[in-house]
Amino acid sequence: MRQAFSDALVKLATQDPNVLLLTGDHGYALFDAFRRECPTQYINAGVAEQNMVGMAAGLARLGYRPFVYGLSAFVPVRVVEQIKLDIAHDQLPVVLLGDGAGFVYSHLGTSHQSTEDIACVRAIPHLAVYSPADRFEMTRCMELAYARKGAVYLRMGKADRGGVHTQMPAPDLQGGLCQVRLGKAGGPAFLATGSMVCTARQLADTQVPEASVWSVSCLKPLQQDRLVSILRASSRVVTFEEHDVAGGLGSLVTETACEHWPTRVLRIGVQDRFSECCGTYDYLLKEHGLDLASLTPRVHRFLKGE
Amino acid sequence: MSDSRASSHAYPVGRLRRTVLEMAYAGSTVHIGCAFSIIELLAVLYRRFLRYPDNHPDAEGRDFLVLSKGHGVMAQYACMVERGWLGPEDVSNYFKDGSHLKGLSDSRVPGLEVTSGSLGHGFSVGVGMAMGALRRGTDQKVYAVVGDGEINEGPIWEGALVAAHHGLHNLMLIVDKNGFQAMGTTDEVLALGDLDAKLASFGFDTVTVNGHDEAAIEAAITTLWQRPGSKPKALIANTVKGKGVSFMENDNRWHYTRLDAARYAAALAEVDSGVTS
Repeated sequence: MRQAFSDALVKLATQDPNVLLLTGDHGYALFDAFRRECPTQYINAGVAEQNMVGMAAGLARLGYRPFVYGLSAFVPVRVVEQIKLDIAHDQLPVVLLGDGAGFVYSHLGTSHQSTEDIACVRAIPHLAVYSPADRFEMTRCMELAYARKGAVYLRMGKADRGGVHTQMPAPDLQGGLCQVRLGKAGGPAFLATGSMVCTARQLADTQVPEASVWSVSCLKPLQQDRLVSILRASSRVVTFEEHDVAGGLGSLVTETACEHWPTRVLRIGVQDRFSECCGTYDYLLKEHGLDLASLTPRVHRFLKGE
Repeated sequence: MSDSRASSHAYPVGRLRRTVLEMAYAGSTVHIGCAFSIIELLAVLYRRFLRYPDNHPDAEGRDFLVLSKGHGVMAQYACMVERGWLGPEDVSNYFKDGSHLKGLSDSRVPGLEVTSGSLGHGFSVGVGMAMGALRRGTDQKVYAVVGDGEINEGPIWEGALVAAHHGLHNLMLIVDKNGFQAMGTTDEVLALGDLDAKLASFGFDTVTVNGHDEAAIEAAITTLWQRPGSKPKALIANTVKGKGVSFMENDNRWHYTRLDAARYAAALAEVDSGVTS
C-alpha cells in the first residue's frame, strides 16, 4: 500500500510539475523515489506543521497542487484550524496525507496514535475524507484526490493487512462504497474502512457467511443513496473502524440510518479511550477489542438479537 | 484602465479614518483601535507599492497584501473604498443582516487575501505565496501585516524560520507594533523583548520606522526592497493603537468599545481636521 502511494505520487508529480510534496520532516524512506524523480518538487517544511499547512494554502493560491504529508496525529489533528481556515474555506486543492493512522505506532503511545482524526475533520465543509483499505484503493484514492481539485484528507492506516480487492476497482471506487464480499440476500451487512476491511471480511468468511462486506473508502462525500440501499437490503449492520466509534464510520452510518432507514447497527471501534499499554500492533488491537477473536462474540451476540 | 491609483491616487489618511468610523458606527462594532494603528501603513502600500493590474483586486500577477491581523480589516475596507472596490452602500450597510463584509478578514471578499482573525494564520499563507511566486519566477511581492500581539502565536516563528531558510526575499513582514494586545500591553501580557534583534537573528533584513509617518514608511519599504541578497524583509512599525482620535489613542478600551452618537461626532471632527499628529 505504501508502495502504491509512492508510485501514485511520483506519477502525478512527473505528469504535473505543479504537484509539490510538503513534509513535516517525516517519511524517511517513503519518499526516496519521489526525491530521486522529482527533487525540485520536494519541500521539507521542517517540524512546523501549522506553518506547513498555511504555506500549502499560499502555494495553492499560486496554482500549485500541494500534497502535505505528516503522521495523522499531526496532519490533520494538530492543524485542524489551518485546514479549516486556510484550505477548506477557500476550497483550495490541497491533499492532506495522514500516515500511521490508528495504532500503527503501537509502541510509541498516545502522541503518535490517532483514533480521532476522522472525527476532527468530518464536519469541515468542502473537505473530502478518504480511507483506502489496500493498494488498489490507495491508487484510486490518489487519482481521485488529484482530480477533485479541492481539499482532501487521505487517511493512511496499517499498510500490510493484505489485499481487499483482487483487481483494480472502478475509478470512482463505486462512490466510495465498494462491495468486497457478496452475502446472502437479506443477510447482515459489514461496513468497514481502512485496515478493518480485512478483519470484516475474515469474520464473514469464517463465521458469518451470509454477511456482505463493504469497504467504505470515501467517507465524505459518500453516496448516501447507495448506503441507504445497503441498509434497506440488510437485516442488521455492523461497522468496523480503527477509529473511535464517535465521529467516524460508525457515526456516519448510524446518522444516515436514523434519518433514512432505521436499522440496528453495532459499531466496532475504539470506545472513547486512549491506549493503556504499548506493544505490537496486534496487541493494541486486542487491548481495544478490535482483533478478530475479541470482536467475533460481540458480533455474534448482536446478530442473534441479544 | 491602467493601474494609476497605485502611484498617484492621493487621499488624506483622515479620509480612511472617517470611513472606518462610519463603518464602526453603522455596524455598532469594535476593533477601531486595531484599524487606526495601521492606517498609514496600508495607505502607503495601496498608494505606492501594491500592484493590481487594471486595478482589479483578483488580477493575475498582483502583489499580495495579507492582513494576518484580521482585526484591522476596517482599515483595509477603507483603502478598498478608495480603490473603488467597495461602495458607499458597503460602508453604510456594514454588519447589516446579509452583509458580505465581516468583522474580520474573509478571503471570499475580492481584495482580501486571507481569512484571518484567528491569529498566526495569514503569515504562513503569505510565506507560501512568496515561495510560489519565486518558484514561478514572477516579481510578485507579498506584504504580511501582523500585530505585535499576534506574534505570540507559534506559527509566526515557524514561518519566519521557513522564510529565511528558503530565501524568500519577495516577502515583507510588517509588524504593527502598537504595544497593545487584547488584555493589556504586550509588555504586561507576553513581553516581546528586542523585536528587531529577534527578527534579525531569524535571518530577516529589518528596518524600524514610525508607522504613522507616510514618507518614512515609503522610504523604509523602498530601502528594504533595495537591500541585496535573499533575506526576507521585516518592517517594524512603531504605531499608536487608536491613532488619530485623541480619546482613543493608547486606550485599549477601543479594542472593544462601540461608538455612541456623541463620541462618533467628536471622533469624526478630529479625523476630518487632523488635530492629532
